Amino acid sequence: MASNSRSSSTRSSRRRSAATIVMLLLFVTVFVVRLVDIQVVRADTLSADSLGNRSVEQPVFGSRGDIVDSNGVVLAGTVMRYNITLSPRNAKEFERTTDTGDVTVTLAQAVAEVGALTGQSGDEILKVISDALAADKDSDYAVVVRAVDVSVFRAIDALDIPWMYAEKNPSRVYPDGAVAGNLVGFVSSGGEAQAGIELGQDACLASTNGTETYEKGADGVRLPQSTVTTRTARDGGDVVTTIDSDLNWFVQQALAKQAIATGAAWGNVVVQEVKTGKLVAVADYPSVDPNNVNGTPNPDDRGSRAFTASFEPGSTFKALTTASVLDAGAATPLSRIVAPYRYLPPNGANVNDSSSHPDLNLTLTGVMIESSNTGMSKFGELISDQQRYDYMTKFGVGSTTESGFLAEDSGILHPWEDWDNQTKYATMFGQGLTTTAIQVSSVYQTLANNGVRMPVQLVAGCRHADGTMTEVPEAVGTPVVSATAARDTADILEMVYQKAWLAKTWEIPGYRVAAKTGTAQMPDGQGGYTKGYLVSVSGFAPADDPQYVVSVSLADPVKLNSSAAPAPVFQEVMSQVLKKYRAVPSGATAPALPGTW
Amino acid sequence: MSDNLARVLRPTWESTPGHAPAEEPRHIEIVSPRSQRRARPKIAYALSAVTGVAVIVIAQLLLSVGISQSAYEVSRLQASQVELGRTAESVTEDLVRVSSPQSLAANAEALGMVSSSNPVYLRLSDGAVLGAPASAIGSQAGSASLVPNALLAGVPLVTELPQNTGQGASLGGSVASPAAEPVVAASVSATVPAEAPNALPTPTTR
Repeated sequence: MASNSRSSSTRSSRRRSAATIVMLLLFVTVFVVRLVDIQVVRADTLSADSLGNRSVEQPVFGSRGDIVDSNGVVLAGTVMRYNITLSPRNAKEFERTTDTGDVTVTLAQAVAEVGALTGQSGDEILKVISDALAADKDSDYAVVVRAVDVSVFRAIDALDIPWMYAEKNPSRVYPDGAVAGNLVGFVSSGGEAQAGIELGQDACLASTNGTETYEKGADGVRLPQSTVTTRTARDGGDVVTTIDSDLNWFVQQALAKQAIATGAAWGNVVVQEVKTGKLVAVADYPSVDPNNVNGTPNPDDRGSRAFTASFEPGSTFKALTTASVLDAGAATPLSRIVAPYRYLPPNGANVNDSSSHPDLNLTLTGVMIESSNTGMSKFGELISDQQRYDYMTKFGVGSTTESGFLAEDSGILHPWEDWDNQTKYATMFGQGLTTTAIQVSSVYQTLANNGVRMPVQLVAGCRHADGTMTEVPEAVGTPVVSATAARDTADILEMVYQKAWLAKTWEIPGYRVAAKTGTAQMPDGQGGYTKGYLVSVSGFAPADDPQYVVSVSLADPVKLNSSAAPAPVFQEVMSQVLKKYRAVPSGATAPALPGTW
Repeated sequence: MSDNLARVLRPTWESTPGHAPAEEPRHIEIVSPRSQRRARPKIAYALSAVTGVAVIVIAQLLLSVGISQSAYEVSRLQASQVELGRTAESVTEDLVRVSSPQSLAANAEALGMVSSSNPVYLRLSDGAVLGAPASAIGSQAGSASLVPNALLAGVPLVTELPQNTGQGASLGGSVASPAAEPVVAASVSATVPAEAPNALPTPTTR
């Protein structure tokens, strides 16, 4: 009996513990299933949900790099602007807390207050709301006005309208306006680079935006230590140009004044440093203000024609032919020829001078002073076409320069084998081929720099946040003609400056200057010529120690259709350049080379 | 084998006469050795442990109160930093805008200055005058700026500014500038005609 009851109690306790274990296992299983479900199966959704309730993700804007001039003056910079947006479905009257108690502000009042700040009428803002609601009755986002500055943003913020929000909108600003605007280019309202250096150097300038996430408490305060940078923002690099913004302004002003006075269609001025090949000023007329691109309606006026428009250079090109003939040893500055009005070479070409004259006994110097096409033809034919072609290509004619400017024109230079009889002669005095203003400037830079051509530089490099410069262009010169030939050509150009018909117009007292004019018919784009002329002056100073090249071109100045149109600009710009850069006035007098015999 | 251990000779109960061990209840007490007694926990330890935990808990509480208090402080300071950054950016923008060449030229001309593009040089070695000295006619004068700058729209020239506002700000906000200015100008104004007490002296160069 006793053993019986003991065994039954043992059995029941076993049953109890078995039941307990089963229950326990059941519980554990339920919890494990739930755990796996929460921690593994729905983990991502749940944690995203929980984070979404308290975490805030916001973009961190990387700032697009500046474009600066050689002195660090900002030509293009990034500023923060604000888009004012609202939630159309919530746009209704609201209570505003003021010192005197709560005031009810109606929708009409609110939009009128905002409109007064943004320069819109209240009705315009109401239309934004109604348009957004018409498109989507639950619309929560509509832009009232884009890119307002800090003061407007603060004023709107102070209005305390609960359904109005501001969002950041980094924008581009060009503090100097149209100064070098044709070079700098511009960006679209969406921040996309569209022209000029902005587009050409976009790889350097572009920034990448990052994001950061932080968690906020119920009262909206950021929880300490909760900021997580999910993606780092990277600022763009600064593009350092070789331009001097002050000089560029002066040059643009001088060019625009003369272009308007002479009724020119367009024009440009290039100022280049002789020893380095750096472009210190490139002015275009008409110029574009990148802050107000629509103010320049013609898209062609928004780029830089100095780089992108090639033209037949005309007589300024004779300096190149002269240097080639001198370098080849075929003539000296005092070699003599007889220059007729009309020259009919044996190959059947027909070369005329610009105005009728009797036969002139000219030296090579005299041919340049008189700018005689026939005289130049007689010197040019002393060397072979191939030799002349080779000199031209070495001077950089027919290929884009090293400046790296977007959509730069290479000009047209046909291979010498393709030259017809007329072109053989026309290329001696700058026709039958085209050059850009930059290429002409580069030719004169070579002549001024003892025959060594320096690569044309517009961008000095890309400066990164840590101060390092990359993409610094190579500045290794290429000898094109001998120093003697270059020096002799400079002496001849100095005679041109002293003796040519514009001597009084372009005189710069105290300095020796070398210069040459050019007048060329402009092609009409269909193989013929228009009635207009492209008139130009190119030269350098001080001639005894050349420092700067100035090259002025005016297209179709209807009121003064000769080189007299660009000459005053050349005088004014060259004076300013010599004054600004403290060029030492010339000491010795120029060597006198007779022009006639 | 010899050692120096003290040995207690056990009494041999059986051999002790007159004592019946079964009659007298045996009084056995477990006496813990001194080392054990020493190792026994004392109340002081318990107290100090509890106090330590309490201190840690309180310190933890205070710290988190401090941190969350600082969070508000940090948040407030960050907000004010953002505001100040905006102000700095905005005034820098203004400065850069008015230092553009167009603005400088227009203001210089408004103040009566003319630019000369006719440099004349005096060579010290022989006293020679290079160039033709002539009074500057001002190459930019009279012509409107031909190099547009949309940012300058609505920015007044210095001559159009209400008197003293520009100077008052730079003098550290002292509104006493009407009184202060004559003092500043006094050292210079001995030879300056008195007709323009509050304007910059304008030379009448022609």
